Amino acid sequence: MIFPYAVPVLSLSLMAVLTLPARAEMAPLEDEALSKVAGQGGIYLSGDISINEMGGPVENAYFGRCDETDKKCGARFAYRLKEDGGWMVLDEIRGLFAFEGLTLRVRKIDSGFGGDGELFDRDVIELGLPDTVRFTDVHFKVAASSTARPTDPGFIQTDIFAVQMQGDVIMQGNLLVFPDGNP
Amino acid sequence: MTMTDARLSPAPLLLVSMVPVLVNPVAAMERLDDTALSKIQGQSGITLEMELNLSADRLSYYDDGKGVHLEGMRVGSSRGDEAGAFHRVKVDIGADASLNLDYLVEDRRVEFSDIRLAGAPGVGMGGIFFDHSLQGSLRIRQGGAVGGSGYTFDTAYTMTGGRLGYRTNGNSVFLDDITMDVQALGVTLDVVGDTLQLVSPEVIGNWSVGAIRYSNEPGNYGQSYSSATGLPLPSYGGLQGHYELSSVTDIRAGGRSGEGLRLDNETIIHTASFIYLDDGNGLALRDITGDYRIHDLRLDVSEDGRGRPAVALTLGGLQGNLNIGSIEVGSSGQSFGSLNLSFLLEDQIFNGRTYRNELYLQGGGHPDAGPQGLRMATEWSLRLADLSYTEDGNRVIFSGLQSWGSGDVTVNVTRNEVRNGTRFYDGLRIGFEGLEAGYRINGLRVGSDDAPLQGGTELLLALGFYPAYEFELDGHITLGAGGASGEGLTINSDIEIRDGKAAVIAAPYDEGNGEIAQKGLWLTEMTYDGHVRDMTLDVTEEGLAIGTGESWSTMDIGNVRVGTKDHGASMGRLRIQKYQTGSTALVKPGGAGDICVGGAGSSEGACVAAGGQWETRGSEGVTIDMVQVLARAEGDDKKNALMWESNRAVDSQGRPINNTGMKLLVNDIYTSDGGDFDGDGVEDNRFGIRTDLSVDVYQTRVTKKEDGPDAQGVVGSRGDEKIMSPGSAAGYRYVANPGPGDVANRPLGFAVKADTRFKELSINNIDLIHPVGGSQTVVYGAKFQNVDIRANLTATPIP
Repeated sequence: MIFPYAVPVLSLSLMAVLTLPARAEMAPLEDEALSKVAGQGGIYLSGDISINEMGGPVENAYFGRCDETDKKCGARFAYRLKEDGGWMVLDEIRGLFAFEGLTLRVRKIDSGFGGDGELFDRDVIELGLPDTVRFTDVHFKVAASSTARPTDPGFIQTDIFAVQMQGDVIMQGNLLVFPDGNP
Repeated sequence: MTMTDARLSPAPLLLVSMVPVLVNPVAAMERLDDTALSKIQGQSGITLEMELNLSADRLSYYDDGKGVHLEGMRVGSSRGDEAGAFHRVKVDIGADASLNLDYLVEDRRVEFSDIRLAGAPGVGMGGIFFDHSLQGSLRIRQGGAVGGSGYTFDTAYTMTGGRLGYRTNGNSVFLDDITMDVQALGVTLDVVGDTLQLVSPEVIGNWSVGAIRYSNEPGNYGQSYSSATGLPLPSYGGLQGHYELSSVTDIRAGGRSGEGLRLDNETIIHTASFIYLDDGNGLALRDITGDYRIHDLRLDVSEDGRGRPAVALTLGGLQGNLNIGSIEVGSSGQSFGSLNLSFLLEDQIFNGRTYRNELYLQGGGHPDAGPQGLRMATEWSLRLADLSYTEDGNRVIFSGLQSWGSGDVTVNVTRNEVRNGTRFYDGLRIGFEGLEAGYRINGLRVGSDDAPLQGGTELLLALGFYPAYEFELDGHITLGAGGASGEGLTINSDIEIRDGKAAVIAAPYDEGNGEIAQKGLWLTEMTYDGHVRDMTLDVTEEGLAIGTGESWSTMDIGNVRVGTKDHGASMGRLRIQKYQTGSTALVKPGGAGDICVGGAGSSEGACVAAGGQWETRGSEGVTIDMVQVLARAEGDDKKNALMWESNRAVDSQGRPINNTGMKLLVNDIYTSDGGDFDGDGVEDNRFGIRTDLSVDVYQTRVTKKEDGPDAQGVVGSRGDEKIMSPGSAAGYRYVANPGPGDVANRPLGFAVKADTRFKELSINNIDLIHPVGGSQTVVYGAKFQNVDIRANLTATPIP
């Protein structure tokens, strides 16, 4: 295989960020602390991500393109916490997210933070949050369903509530991720 | 004429090695110029004709008492053992006392049935055969480049009907239907002190290989057609190219120890091309230029570091540059862009050990494949290389690439069978045994070679490469002939990696003040067990098409470390399992083209009106269309799953012990089309995860995130835009309100346009596993449906 590792590695590293023991500090770095960052490098990410802007790849009795008014064109996520139980559903997931300046790097913290940095003295993964994330027509529904697929026999779904988001979200500071506890 | 045994000392061997140069010279795609021709043609002389059929049981070369034997040597016709090859040579003496030879050789075969080393009984490197017809001319004059004691040669030849084959244990791979035209004028040969110096001021050639064929028929020896079916043997594809180069070669007596040969060479590639052809579709490297210098290459018959008899090639150094002006594939005429590689192979210390550039050729190959094969005890040291990629005028340099390694590489031509307990496949098998290797990249530079070193090497992950990687490798890759249709490659592979240390994020290993421990996010104590079956590679009209019948792998990462690879703190253990069937990829030249970022619109006006930014990313770049079909689990080895373990017990040395901690298992992840639509009783799974990915090197907007000086001490305010400025100390400055001139100097980065979609992605179960209490399911199934994610992202390296 030519691309055997990259996707799982990226997804796992993201998973690690989301699930492993982590501490986040939102305080701006002092100049002294910034000076320690020199030469460590990293990447600066900008762009936009859309989910089902025109619809998804499934076309059946339930899903269709977004200009088909009698069909759902968003993505659907269903899971269940009980064997042979019902399914919790996030349905009709759509939207556009745009951001500028998400940074990623590894750095050592051994100063700053009001003196705590010197005591901390460790390497961390730093996610520099973008100042602004723009949400455009982001929406989804929370529902309960009798089956995982809306095309399964006996499908019944109860929509509980819908969420719609529009506008800018201010996200400043850095998210610092580092190992803690027994590995 | 028949010889039963012949012994050569180094000096006669040197003369023998010159024979092809003098007798089988050059082919002329380019004709000799009129002046040269007038001195060769139209003169009377002697004509010699003969049918040559020469054989020798053994031709031996001895170096310091150690011998290498070329066994079963024969020079005759490829038509059969009894037939001779027709030779006709017209000899004239010119008015300037030059010797003029016009020669014609028809259907000549030169072959060795095996190459063996004294002291290694029972095994050989395999046989070689070389078929060809030649027509050409050679003029020899007295007087070389440095005086009257040397010689000057003008030569031109055309070779047709060539075959060059390698054969082990009855299986062979050979270049078929080789044609070659070569012209070399003014070649001089002089003795300068203790050195034989060969100067070739201009060598021009064209060549082509009609097909690279594979045969597993012991009775088929260098024939293009199967003796069983009468059909053409399967082909890997064809090759063609041209070159124009000049070189100086110094040859001296004396090996790395005692007798042997030393070779030094300087070559300039003025222009060249290389094209791989698959069913008429080409993968072309065009506008190649470059130069290289070989320093102190020695040839000995010797022993490797483990005392095994070997033909030793040991290198003092190799330095050079290679420029590939355009890389094209398919019929679109579009280019991926251009590549430049500068490299220095030289002794260097890595991880406290000195690595050299050495190759010890031995007989045997894989021990289960039969007595014939090639084993190469290998060691390499790439001290420094810079690799740059330029597309649409934008250049990114992967700077400070280093690589090192040692171990055995074996080469066998094998057939589909289980032999001596080992599974072999049809094709050329390249095996790895105890190969300890590594590489690392210092950082990125954008724009020019002297631009500041930046981070961002983790962007290579998108292409499946870690920025730094050390590992121990065993396994094989077997390259079979024939692709998904017609010509092409079929690959079967089994790879095991031990003690792997791979960087996901990596800081420089040298910031300008000497080597330092490379910090980053590391996957360490890693093992990898990967298998690929029936993977096909074809060049099509659209691009390079890759299809995989079945692939499965398990990567067990003992520790995910933050910091250095040896001492960074660990987040725990990760195990990643993959199982795919019927996955494909198509790699095409050309990137995203004209796109609307941050909005929707097919024209600049519509895009801007929708709040987007119109970007013209040019005609070059890379586009990859992938289909990844995640199959349902078939046992513990073949499935898609993720497992994270932490809070493990430790041994007496403080190292975590696997399977003693708490685990989170995301089990049996698979794709589906959402139902059984073809009625075969099994849910369809053909759509998979489809990703269309276009990558360009493109200017991006980067803004300052904090007031005050940044990491390089460049002052600016939050929100100011970073503008490249070669005159500035750090190479850039911050601008509050950039004008058109500033916008034209935005920093370069990688612009990625991606569209990922799948019909259904399921997780069978998510479990928590206690080392004593066993597993507890927390999620009884999850299903994502109807997903289409589109992204326009720019990733820019930052210091």
